[in-house]
Amino acid sequence: MAAPVPWACCAVLAAAAAVVYAQRHSPQETPHVQYERLGSDVTLPCGTASWDAAVTWRVNGTDLAPDLLNGSQLVLRSLDLGHSGLYACFHRDSWHLHHQILLHVGLPPREPVLSCRSNTYPKGFYCSWHLPTPTYIPNTFNVTVLHGSKVMVCEKDPAVKNRCHIRYMHLFSTVKYKVSISVSNALGHNATAITFDEFTIVKPDPPENVVARPVPSNPRRLEVTWQTPSTWPDPESFPLKFFLRYRPLILDQWQHVELSDGTAHTITDAYAGKEYIIQVAAKDNEIGTWSDWSVAAHATPWTEEPRHLTTEAQPPETTTSTTSSLAPPPTTKICDPGELGSGGAPSAPSFVSVPVTLALAAAAATASHLLI
Amino acid sequence: MDLRAGDSWGMLACLCTVLWQVPAVPALNRTGDPGPGPSIQKTYDLTRYLEHQLRSLAGTYLNYLGPPFNEPDFNPPRLGVETLPKATVNLEVWRSLNDKLRLTQNYEAYSHLLCYLRGLNRQAATAELRRSLAHFCTSLQGLLGSIAGVMAALGYPLPQPLPGTEPTWAPGPAHSDFLQKMDDFWLLKELQTWLWRSAKDFNRLKKKMQPPATAVTLHLEARGF
Repeated sequence: MAAPVPWACCAVLAAAAAVVYAQRHSPQETPHVQYERLGSDVTLPCGTASWDAAVTWRVNGTDLAPDLLNGSQLVLRSLDLGHSGLYACFHRDSWHLHHQILLHVGLPPREPVLSCRSNTYPKGFYCSWHLPTPTYIPNTFNVTVLHGSKVMVCEKDPAVKNRCHIRYMHLFSTVKYKVSISVSNALGHNATAITFDEFTIVKPDPPENVVARPVPSNPRRLEVTWQTPSTWPDPESFPLKFFLRYRPLILDQWQHVELSDGTAHTITDAYAGKEYIIQVAAKDNEIGTWSDWSVAAHATPWTEEPRHLTTEAQPPETTTSTTSSLAPPPTTKICDPGELGSGGAPSAPSFVSVPVTLALAAAAATASHLLI
Repeated sequence: MDLRAGDSWGMLACLCTVLWQVPAVPALNRTGDPGPGPSIQKTYDLTRYLEHQLRSLAGTYLNYLGPPFNEPDFNPPRLGVETLPKATVNLEVWRSLNDKLRLTQNYEAYSHLLCYLRGLNRQAATAELRRSLAHFCTSLQGLLGSIAGVMAALGYPLPQPLPGTEPTWAPGPAHSDFLQKMDDFWLLKELQTWLWRSAKDFNRLKKKMQPPATAVTLHLEARGF
């Protein structure tokens, strides 16, 4: 029994020595993390080494010039972002690693920018925040929502960073909501808050699937359709009104139409043959603000296929039949100008009125081409 | 109109009982009745008109009260000492209100609010304020009549006040000028919120009464869509 004890004792001592050795010389030694302010000066000590110890400093594996040293301490002036890195000091002769410092250069946070919006009224609202300028170091944010004196839960958005969601429990409240945010990092701290009424932050998402189509046989019309934004939960009880704007690409001036309901509209004053850009915005009928403009739709009004004899550029549109003036010779089929150039699809009987003599000649000429 | 001075809303109890006895104004000609649709639309339009009118009235009145009441960030705690009809309601409860209850709540709210507003009018210092308030009270009376008309058209009885539930307000031991102004502030706030709520209430009623939108579908079919 006596023999194994000293043997075990030696083993333990050897293990302890190995650990100490490893800690002093292992390249995996955990560096000390340090945060310093951009533009400031910093003096990095070489761990516990005395001031007059002979050391060499390296940053990210690259030697540093000795003129930066103050004894065994490294002096860095006017820190910039490039100074961030892993600093290590070694005993000059033995090249034993004495100390490591992971330096992060950054800034304390400025006042955060906070905004809240309800695009899902009456379900709830969300708040988003960001810092106006980067800090270059990690920040933590803390959001609190108060409705009067009641604390409400703000659930973090799983997909979007710096956003959280609040569910409305009550509607038509006269008490304001107060959302406060505080941000902190290793170099400082900041905070802000906003207060608002339930109604003022309502802003729907833009209408979806805006489509503009030409109307056959109508060179001055464009049919626009869209859908209410899918995020708006209850368009029946909380109807949206819409704002449509359109212009030909060649002009800068927009035309505007406000529509109190319905998700379709026909533009009747388009310039013939010109490509149009069309956008729609949405707003709750009574409260809140207009959405952003939707993705633009493009369309060109219907035009006739070019004929040998051209007609006027902007003939006024009529819906009266002028068949009698276009009466062709009995052997050719009745010329319906609506059929020209539209691939023979049945269309609304709105004839373009053209000078009679030209029409007769044109009708005769093209009717013979149109043997479907 | 009652010309008594004094700023206790408790005295309005007498005045308010008079209101309840106003007979329902039938907004429709019963013969050839086009249904409640047009009068619901009219009521909706009235809430919009009133909301617009209130915006300028409230601005003027709050300026008259002076700071902090006219500051946009003013966010006082709601002490709940006033007996104003509160528009706030749980979302699910609001959704599931039946038509009769929806209309009744609106009617009762505006009856109370009109009563309080008339009290406000009597205290207002400037002639211009009194004129604006009086005009608003008349419009609000019109809204009440319109709601009564809808209820009549749908066959719902007008709410009758139970004894003891008339709008009274018991002043605190020393009702200060500041607290009076707070009450005025909350009255205007509640009125504004009720008008927003009513727009939504009448939207809901409108949609329920509306025939399906066949007109739009036919229009689209003609164009080959």
